[in-house]
Amino acid sequence: MSVILHPRPSPIAAAMYMLRDLDAEVIVLHGPSGCCFGPARLLEKDGVKVFTTALSDNELIFGGEERLKNVLRKIDELFKPKLIGVVGTCASMIIGENLKKAVEEINLTNKTICCNVHSGLGDNTIGAIEVLKEANKLGIISKEEFERQKYMLEMATLLEKTRGTARLEYIPNSPSDDPSKVAYEIIDSIKNNKEIACILNAKKETAFLFADIMIALKEIQEKIGGRIKFIANLDPNIGLPRIRNYSKIILEELNKKGVNIDFITGGLDEYPIAGIKAREIILNSSTELAIIAGIPHAVAIEGKIKTIAITSGSRATSNLKSLGYNFVINEYGAHRITLGKKHIHRSILGNTIRKMIRKIMRDTS
Amino acid sequence: MKSVAIYGKGGIGKSTLASNIAYALSKIGLKVLLIGCDPKADSTINIIGKRIPPLLDLMKINKNPSIDMFLFKLDNISCIEIGGPEPGVGCAGRGLIVGINYLLENLDINNYDFIIFDVPADIVCGGLAVIVKEKYAEGVIIVTSDDFMSIYAANNICRGLNTLKVNAFGILYNRPMKNGIKYIEKFSRKVNLPIIGIIPYSEEIVNANKIMKTVIEVYPNSNISNIIKSISLSILNIKEGRIPNWLSINEIEEIFHEDS
Repeated sequence: MSVILHPRPSPIAAAMYMLRDLDAEVIVLHGPSGCCFGPARLLEKDGVKVFTTALSDNELIFGGEERLKNVLRKIDELFKPKLIGVVGTCASMIIGENLKKAVEEINLTNKTICCNVHSGLGDNTIGAIEVLKEANKLGIISKEEFERQKYMLEMATLLEKTRGTARLEYIPNSPSDDPSKVAYEIIDSIKNNKEIACILNAKKETAFLFADIMIALKEIQEKIGGRIKFIANLDPNIGLPRIRNYSKIILEELNKKGVNIDFITGGLDEYPIAGIKAREIILNSSTELAIIAGIPHAVAIEGKIKTIAITSGSRATSNLKSLGYNFVINEYGAHRITLGKKHIHRSILGNTIRKMIRKIMRDTS
Repeated sequence: MKSVAIYGKGGIGKSTLASNIAYALSKIGLKVLLIGCDPKADSTINIIGKRIPPLLDLMKINKNPSIDMFLFKLDNISCIEIGGPEPGVGCAGRGLIVGINYLLENLDINNYDFIIFDVPADIVCGGLAVIVKEKYAEGVIIVTSDDFMSIYAANNICRGLNTLKVNAFGILYNRPMKNGIKYIEKFSRKVNLPIIGIIPYSEEIVNANKIMKTVIEVYPNSNISNIIKSISLSILNIKEGRIPNWLSINEIEEIFHEDS
C-alpha cells in the first residue's frame, strides 16, 4: 500500500465541519490547546464557538475526563447551547478517554454528539461519518439521510484517491495559471461564438466563491453575446438545512444577476456524483469549452474538450494540471474566504474577466 | 556509579527484592538511590515504612516541586516514587517519561553509588521502556519464578530488550518450586542470560512486608537475609551485561514439555 507523503485533511477537522453543518453551536475539542487550531479559528468565523479542554501532561498522565466535564458544565452554563459537539484528538484518544461517559455523568447526553476520532484514523471523511452516525442515534438526522451522506462521503474519498490529491504518493505544489491569460481565452471563445459550459461543482460553502464565475460570464454575455450553458450542483432540496440554505441563497443571487441554471446536478454535498452528471450533459452537447469551478476533478472531461479548471490550493492546482486540464486557476484560500459568508464573493478570475471586458468595451466605444 | 532496572511479571516480587537489595548495599556503605517507577508507588514502602508522595502527584499541583518534597531518606538510601494514574485512566508510560525527565533535570544522580529503578511489569509500551531505552539504567535484571506465565513474561522482556538493543545483567530466580530450577536453567541458557541468584520462599520476607520493612532490617542474621546480601554483592560486581535472545511461544512450551 502506498503512503501519501504530503499532509492530508484530518478526520478531526472533518468532524468539526460536519458538526457545524448540523448547526452545533459549540464544539469542544478534547485535547491539547493547539490541536486543530486552524480549523477552530475558521469555524469561529462561521459562528461556531470552539473550545478546548487544553489537556496538558497532567491530564495525559492522570486522565482528562474531569477536565472535560468541567469545561462542558461551564459551557452549558454560559451559553445554554441546543447542540454540543465533543471531538476527540490524537492525545485524548490514545490514552483512551471516554467522551460519552463524561457527557453522561453530567447529564448532557441528549444534546451532545461525541465523536471518537483522531488524526491517525486514515481518511478525513471518517470523522464526518462518525458525527453523522451519532447524529442519527440522537435523532437529529434520519437513517436515510445518514445513508445518503455516508455514501457521498465514501464517494468523495474514492474521488480523492482516484483523481484527487490522494491519488499519488507525492503531489508537489504548483502555481496558478495567469488569470489574464485564462480570461482572454474565455472572451476569445465567446467572441468566436464557441459553445461554452460553465459548471459549478462545488463543495458546500465554497460555492459562495466559485459561483462568481457564472455571474462574470453572464456579464460578458450581456455585453458581447455568446452561447453559455450553466450547470450547477445547487439543488435546494438536498442536504442538511444549512447546506440547502446555501443553495437557496446562491440561486437567488444568481437569479438576480440574470443567471438561470440550465441543469441542476445535485446538492452542494453531492459534488462527487454531481460531477458525473455534469460530464454526461457536456458530452451529450456540442460544448467546445468547459469552465469547471469548485471540484473540477469530479467532472472528468479533460482531454475530451478544452477545459478551464477553477479550484483552490496549490496542490489541487498541480493535480489538475497533471490530470490534463488545459488551464487551472487557483482561487487562493477559497475555504477561508467563504467561511461565514452568506453571499456570493467576488473571485480572482471573475474580477479579471470583468476588468478585461471593461477594457474591451472602452476600446471599442 | 552503577544503575540497574528491575523488570518482571506483575506480583513476582520486584519491589520486595529492589528494596532489600537497596538496603543490603546501603549497609556496606554505598549511597543508594531507589526509584519506584510503578504508578502504584509502593516500591519504597519497605525502606521508609510508609507511602511517600509520588513525584507526579506533586507535579500535578506544582509544576516544579523541590527535591525535598519527593525524595525521602533512610540512612544511605534515598527513595523516590514517580507515581502515575489510577488504574484504567490516563497514560502511565507518558507519566514515567515526564517524571524521569524532571527527576534527571533536578537531581544529580552521579552523587549516588548505586541506582535501582523498580519498573512496572513488562515493557508494554514505549513510555514504560524509557528507563532502558534512554539508557538511564546500564542494564536490566529480570525477576522470574519457574511457572509458565512468569517465564512467558520474562521472555517478553527479553524480546523488548533485544529489540531495543539493551543489556541485561541476568535473572533473579524468585520463589522456586520443587524441581523448578530445570525450567529456569533451560530458559537462562536459551536467552543467554546468567542466573544471578535464587531467592527461596521465605516467611520472614512475608512478615517483614507486613510491617513495611525489609527482611534484612527485621531479620538481619537470617538465612534469607544472607542470601539477599550475597546476591546484592553479586549484582554490584557484575562487570557487563549482554543483549538477551528471546524465544518463540513454541520454544517456551518446549521448556516445559521436554521432560513430560
